[in-house]
Amino acid sequence: MWLPLLGLLFGAIIGSAISFEIPVVYVKYMSVAVLASLDSVFGGIKAVLEDTFDGSVLLTGFFTNALLAALLAYLGDRLGVDLYMAAVFAFGVRLFQNLAAIRHYLLDRHIKNYKERLEK
Amino acid sequence: MNKKNWQIPITIVLVFLGVLLSAQFQTQARVLSDLSMQKTEDLIAMVRNLSDKRMQLERELRETQTKLRDLRNSTSDEQNIKNNLLAELNRLKLINGAVEVKGPGLRITFYDNSPILYVDIVSMINELWAAGAEAIAVNNVRINVHSSFFYTETENDMFITLNHQPLSYPITITAIGDPNTLEKGLTLPGGIIDNLALFGAFPILERKEEIIVPAVETPPVFIEAEIAKKP
Repeated sequence: MWLPLLGLLFGAIIGSAISFEIPVVYVKYMSVAVLASLDSVFGGIKAVLEDTFDGSVLLTGFFTNALLAALLAYLGDRLGVDLYMAAVFAFGVRLFQNLAAIRHYLLDRHIKNYKERLEK
Repeated sequence: MNKKNWQIPITIVLVFLGVLLSAQFQTQARVLSDLSMQKTEDLIAMVRNLSDKRMQLERELRETQTKLRDLRNSTSDEQNIKNNLLAELNRLKLINGAVEVKGPGLRITFYDNSPILYVDIVSMINELWAAGAEAIAVNNVRINVHSSFFYTETENDMFITLNHQPLSYPITITAIGDPNTLEKGLTLPGGIIDNLALFGAFPILERKEEIIVPAVETPPVFIEAEIAKKP
């Protein structure tokens, strides 16, 4: 349970230690990529709770989603279309859906436990 | 549910997420402090504030510059007045003989027992003034407006006096001025030298490159006299 959180902390420490200097022009793509990876992570947590978790799906999803999101945003900029907004919208919606699903599962489990305890 | 199976991939992903997030946070902080990413309203307010401040500072600068100019003018005025007064003072000192002066000039020497009277000295001095002498001393006593020549007699001798002090021979008259002019003024035909020659007095005239005429020993004192009419 605590290993993933430790991993997050570790990653954050590494990130702040390295202190990336991303050019301001690319910040937009970077943010879309971060959004995509957040979505992937929550999707992964949801999958764990649903018992449909697959490590390879999560890993490939994480990287490809992030890269594709950034790439699409870049492409949109080149084409003059705000694909960036589409990515933000899509990932945002999925993020909330995932979060809602996680909440539901946790709630269900808690209620189930509570009821079981009551029945005892 | 295989715990190990889901924990490792999620940990890996979260490590990357952590890196990405912190990077993004840092970049975003940098972007937010960047002017081009700030809200237009904020920027307008900032510009307004800054231009207000600038105007205020410019006003201050103008005021300070005006003050500086005023001060400078007043000091330069004062300096001018001071310089003028100093120049005037020096001129007056020169005229009144309050300072020692030097310059080219003529030296006239009467050697022992020249048969001269005090009027001869006075005539000589008048002649020198007329010839453009600027400062005259007799036996190293400066001639000024109060100088008086007379004579005093003892039982067997007669002295010419200057300021009531007997002059002893050789009597030396030193005059600052153009040496040639002074000499010509004295030696012109029928002039004072010719006159003196009639009485058997032959003063020696020497042109000098530099003559020093001392200052008046006791400057004139005005106690009763005052300026009658203010200029």
